[in-house]
Amino acid sequence: MDETRLLSLEGVGRQLPSGGKMLTILDAIDLEIAEGEFVAVLGPSGSGKSTLLALMAGLDRPSTGTISIKGERIDRLSEDRLALMRRHTIGFVFQSFQLLGNFTARENVMLPMELLGRADARRRADDLLASVGLAERGHHYPTQLSGGEQQRVALARAFAPKPALLLADEPTGNLDGATGRVVLDLLAEMRASEGATLVLVTHDPAVAALADRRIHLRDGRIEHEETN
Amino acid sequence: MRWLVLAAREFRGSTGRIAFFAACLAVGVAAVVAVSGLSSALDQTIRAQARQLLAADLAVGSRRPIADEILAAIDGLVGARRVQVCELPSVVTGVPGDDGDSAPGASVLSELKAVGEGYPFYGELVTRPARPLEELLDERHVVVAPELLVRLGLDVGEGLMIGGESFTIAGTVSAEPDRMGASFSFGPRVLLSVAALERTGLAGLGSRVKYTVLVRLPDGTTPDDLAVAAASIRSAIADPEFVELETASEAQPTLRSGLGRVERFLGLVALLSLLIGGIGVAQAVRAWLAGRLDAIAVLRALGVRPREVFGLYLGQTALLALLGSVAGAVAGTLVARAVPTMVSGLLPVEVVVGWQPIAMVRGVALGLGVALLFGLRPLVDAMRVPPIRVLRRDADPLPISRVLGVLLSSILLAGITATASAQSGSLLRGLQFSAGLVVATAVLAGSAYLVVRLTGRAPRDHGSVTLRHGLAALARPGSGTLGAIVALGLGVLTVVGMWLIQDRLSAQLRADLPDQAPTVFLVDIQPDQWEGVEESLVVAGAESIDSVEVVMGRLASINGVPVAELAVDENDRSSDRRWVLTREQRLTSMATLPEDNVIVDGALWVHPDRSEVSIEADFARDLGVGVGDSIVFDIQGVPVELFVSSIRTVEWESFSINFFLVVEPGVLDRAPRFRIATARLSAAEELPLQNRLAAAFPNVTVLRIRDVLEKVVGILEQLGNGIRFLGAFTVLAGIAILAGAVSAGAIRRGRQVALFKTLGMTRAQVVSVFAVEYALVGLVAGVLGTVGAVVMAWTVVRFGFQIAWAWNPGALMVALVATVVMSVVAGLAASARALTVRPLAVLRQGD
Repeated sequence: MDETRLLSLEGVGRQLPSGGKMLTILDAIDLEIAEGEFVAVLGPSGSGKSTLLALMAGLDRPSTGTISIKGERIDRLSEDRLALMRRHTIGFVFQSFQLLGNFTARENVMLPMELLGRADARRRADDLLASVGLAERGHHYPTQLSGGEQQRVALARAFAPKPALLLADEPTGNLDGATGRVVLDLLAEMRASEGATLVLVTHDPAVAALADRRIHLRDGRIEHEETN
Repeated sequence: MRWLVLAAREFRGSTGRIAFFAACLAVGVAAVVAVSGLSSALDQTIRAQARQLLAADLAVGSRRPIADEILAAIDGLVGARRVQVCELPSVVTGVPGDDGDSAPGASVLSELKAVGEGYPFYGELVTRPARPLEELLDERHVVVAPELLVRLGLDVGEGLMIGGESFTIAGTVSAEPDRMGASFSFGPRVLLSVAALERTGLAGLGSRVKYTVLVRLPDGTTPDDLAVAAASIRSAIADPEFVELETASEAQPTLRSGLGRVERFLGLVALLSLLIGGIGVAQAVRAWLAGRLDAIAVLRALGVRPREVFGLYLGQTALLALLGSVAGAVAGTLVARAVPTMVSGLLPVEVVVGWQPIAMVRGVALGLGVALLFGLRPLVDAMRVPPIRVLRRDADPLPISRVLGVLLSSILLAGITATASAQSGSLLRGLQFSAGLVVATAVLAGSAYLVVRLTGRAPRDHGSVTLRHGLAALARPGSGTLGAIVALGLGVLTVVGMWLIQDRLSAQLRADLPDQAPTVFLVDIQPDQWEGVEESLVVAGAESIDSVEVVMGRLASINGVPVAELAVDENDRSSDRRWVLTREQRLTSMATLPEDNVIVDGALWVHPDRSEVSIEADFARDLGVGVGDSIVFDIQGVPVELFVSSIRTVEWESFSINFFLVVEPGVLDRAPRFRIATARLSAAEELPLQNRLAAAFPNVTVLRIRDVLEKVVGILEQLGNGIRFLGAFTVLAGIAILAGAVSAGAIRRGRQVALFKTLGMTRAQVVSVFAVEYALVGLVAGVLGTVGAVVMAWTVVRFGFQIAWAWNPGALMVALVATVVMSVVAGLAASARALTVRPLAVLRQGD
């Protein structure tokens, strides 16, 4: 067994009911991702990118095949065990930011660390906010922040618990070009300093160009892979 | 701790929701606290004033003069003092004028109370002039209630005829410590001395004297001393089944247990409003969580476990419930403080309601429990929010196990039963209450669902724009109005149903008596007076005059077993049976039975060699005797053995003279007796007859049935007021739920208003569209509620009270219109914010 393998998918398929029949979203995906790797998943709309990401995070369950993280099967875990797995192992960045509206920026960043019971949550949250350039904005609520600022808070939150695996779903999709560029640079920077494995879903080839490996999806299947 | 912090953060921005959630609970908790607060204040007052209410440390009471052995036992107690009290009803009149006018003066049925020197030992007797009673009363002077002066047109210093003897009114009495609840009395008070009562000769006649000896023990007597004294008196009582001994430390056990029964009934009515509030809580929690779905999905994606999501929102629900319940408990206490002034005539004592911590804690606990019970289902649904919602908003909720679904319903039912049992003090009543509630709710919900579905199918091509939009809004799926209709309908059902029942009872009591029923009862007629009394009746135009002789007796033994043993046996199990065994029995002799008597077992007067008795069927069952049994009566000290030869049924509703016990003619010939009579008289003739009889036969007491029924109706209506007052809380809870449902849809409504305005509707038109929708909600709830109320009231009236049903369409219309008006007002008030939005601001937000 490969010592550095973090995530592995074997024969993973996903069907969803649609209009009375089953629609195949993903089919026979075999994929291995090593620790520390930066993988971009590319493909047109409806190719199954987001579903693949959801399966990797245990947000969804495969119809067929197995998914393992650090050698442990996650496709048959209970909702509770899946939640604990995400808490300890996975960080998220979403296209639509998904900050909690009732929490301040700092509280959003602190949340994953508080779930882990970390005593230094507040200090680390301030450090992370400083590293995304929002040191002075910690007490603001999401609605008081611009889109770019919200996504930077989301980045800080994603890295906060030192996740082994960071999953990003079109993180620049809702941002203009310049702002998106800033967010991507921060993402790459933080990945380097925090040392996380990164899986990034995008349909922007320029974004994907930063990755170590690019996986191209089409109609729920891996069309081809490229490595830098 | 960190979960608490998280809960507090997640709570922000939900303040709008708090008001309705809290209001739903507060209304119900207020009702519960008002009932139990008032009741415990009453109980505390009675306990605190126990000696004043008894006017003594202990009292010995009986229907016969208190035996010398008992008096000797009292006198044997060191430092004890005693005073004699005799009470009896009698008709009194003004002294006829000396102007030669032969018309008799006005008369009034009054309650005589003869008291010895020293009365009362405790408590305050309020007289005017304010002098000691001993100075006001003597052989020729009495003190009367102010009401008596008004009714007879007399003044202090004028004369009063009692039992044919003349007295002078020395003053008035407005309060006695040991006379409670003037509503329950049959006439104004006349206080006189024992010597004065002897002068009237009334105590020796008839049967309705209540003898009491009040005992005062030396100051510093402890409850233990009191118990010792009571025991030594009790040991001197030869016939304990006929003598009551009451001590101040027992603090009016009969009164308190009666109040306890009232409290348990009202407690259930109050609980109903709390449970209706529970529906509102469920709705509020559901609406609140619906707005938190995205946040819950993010939390789940970040690794929060389902049970932690549950705990998070459970904590917030509990906190809100606590706030609402505390507010309700405070409001309930304020209500309880206001009640004594509203129903002063009904309450036996002056009650000052302070803060009732136990009632408040109990109310808060019930409010919290009900909120969690009803919030449980939506809270469990929060666990089902799929984390993948962060990526796909249309994701299906996580599956819930069928077992859990059943379990949740069972917990809800068990919880309702438990609270109802706690409120009513009985598991059986708790079960009946929850079964009734479940059936009523299910029927209401089913009917409301049907109506809403039918509305949705109704053709909308006719009618005004506002009506069509109103109908469409009512039928819109997920509009949240179904719950409001059910809640409001339950409230209407409670209030209207209770009112209909009480209204029917009052109307029945007030209605003209049955055609052949007598309107006056005459009691205590001496045998030699009957001829004269009968003549007076004929002169007054009385019809259906009926009269029988009555002999008073006490049951001594059944089949050789002394009553004392029977009574002791049954003492713990049923006080009804004890009453049946130990009451003063009225016996009469008849050769043939009245028409409405039907023999169901045995035959009348068939054994030539035995003294026979015929017993009424229910009474025989209570006594535990049947044909062939032998019972012995003690008639003025002489034992008379009677053989039960027949059992018969009696139509009591006829108001004719009827007896539980009819004895074979001849058997009672030598026993002392008096006559009672009934007659039918026009209402206008009743008072003149009473006046004439009072002048000619002062010992005869005239009971006017119309007068008695009027008093019963008065009490019934005051009780009805209390029930309706509490029932109003259920309607209030329903209104709060409607407002909550409307406000939960505020965002959607705001968008709707914006759209309407953009399309050119004026604000007035928008308001009328909404008004039509809320009016329809009120109409459906009102119709379903009143129909339910009629069904409930009809069932209770026909089968519970077994009296005729009558429609009151006017009242039902009033209830309907009131419901519609209330829901329009509440709905529009809750839509106020949505109505003021600017179209552009809303439409720009998009969805």
